[in-house]
Amino acid sequence: MLCQKCGKNPATTHIKTVINGKVTEQNLCSHCATNSGYSSLGGGSISNLLASMLGQSMQLHRQKEGGTCKCCGATFADIAESGRVGCATCYSEFEEELLPYLKQIHGSVNHTGKIPGSKELVITSTTDPIAELKTKLAALVATENYEEAAVVRDEIKRLEGEK
Amino acid sequence: MASWYIETDKLNEIAVSSRVRLARNLKDMPFPCRMTKEMFASLKNRVKTTIDELASEGIKLRFIEMNDVPENEVGAMVERHVISPDFAANCNNRAIAISDDESISIMIGEEDHIRIQVIVAGFNLEDAYKTADMLDTALGERLGFAYDERLGFLTECPTNIGTGLRASVMLHLPVCENNGDIASIADAAGKIGLTVRGMYGEGSKAKASLYQVSNQITLGISEKNAIKNLNVIVHQIIDREKQSRKLIDRVKIEDSVMRAFGTLKYAKLISTEEFMKLISLIKLGMNEGIIDNVNISPIRLLIEAQPFMVMRKYSVSTSVERDEARARIVGEFL
Repeated sequence: MLCQKCGKNPATTHIKTVINGKVTEQNLCSHCATNSGYSSLGGGSISNLLASMLGQSMQLHRQKEGGTCKCCGATFADIAESGRVGCATCYSEFEEELLPYLKQIHGSVNHTGKIPGSKELVITSTTDPIAELKTKLAALVATENYEEAAVVRDEIKRLEGEK
Repeated sequence: MASWYIETDKLNEIAVSSRVRLARNLKDMPFPCRMTKEMFASLKNRVKTTIDELASEGIKLRFIEMNDVPENEVGAMVERHVISPDFAANCNNRAIAISDDESISIMIGEEDHIRIQVIVAGFNLEDAYKTADMLDTALGERLGFAYDERLGFLTECPTNIGTGLRASVMLHLPVCENNGDIASIADAAGKIGLTVRGMYGEGSKAKASLYQVSNQITLGISEKNAIKNLNVIVHQIIDREKQSRKLIDRVKIEDSVMRAFGTLKYAKLISTEEFMKLISLIKLGMNEGIIDNVNISPIRLLIEAQPFMVMRKYSVSTSVERDEARARIVGEFL
């Protein structure tokens, strides 16, 4: 479907507005959506989004004993509805329910950053040049700088060949 | 050192400011969403005692109860990026500790117990992080932060868990915005775990073509790598803006810039919206050497002409009075 506003680009954003009970729907391309104040720049509330994600695991949780956090008294339902965790202990109390969502949000469930108590900043940094170049490549491709991207891609290939 | 928005004009760059924020919670207290008024009082007391202790180590921060701050000043603090709009929206029970130049601000009782923020002029995430890390260590040693070996620093919202780090760079991108590149830049940034948002963060629309690029992922990536990734994409975006600027008709830009200059210099009433559009052109004009022999600080002016900043300085209340005061401030600057 083409954008209903400019009629040139493919429509990628579906916008539904309800004003005084009247529903209007529009299909716009990313350019027109941005100009109309929509798009990823506007952003939604992260905790709302999270709440809807967590809500899906409520059913699973209900089948088990519905416990409450021994520290703050939050139930998993409280967390799922608000998208907000009650206290530090909740993370261990509801570990089974929360871990899949942490994985979904961050793509990982293992902290690799600073460890408190260590005087020096502890960074488990990748001194791996290939990983570094891959990030650079992703950024170059993302910003459509294909010429430089090709150079970086060849460099990665060369380094991987050396391994 | 002066505030970031004064220092940044000396640099005259596309990257306006760099900010680092660390989210931290005390391990023996529920997160703010489940705290009582008494708990907030206790939290503030404990942080205040710690802040007082830090003074003897040369870290001088001023502790302010938000209930004591007049409404206009709260708004002006948001406009200067000292506090977040979320923090300002409900100041009850909250407090802040800030440095004299406002480069350091520690928000107490926001979504997390403590939010350490460091903001510096230009593109310099490394220095901002170094200061934030130093403060985090100093506060953490005394207060004891909620931390899990596997999950890192624990936060009220799971989107901040791990490092609790949100690093962002504010960029002035008038040409990329005008030619529609911003949408594809935002999409591209999203693919590598970064977001592009308006000047005042989550949910805000871009004004004066100022965009914040920040990291989203905080678990499974170290602080150093998150900052490194952000640096790579920010360099790319800056290059893209620079390249795009070369392609536009010079006379057209000069015309727009000089018209903006004329309006700002001689207008008697300037609304925030009109001001933001025009000041963006002035900054573009200065970066591109179109306006050169005039001593203007576009970003300083941009911050000082924000609604609450104007109301605070001139004790005006109606929008007409405000627009008139703004025109006066702007006229004096140019």
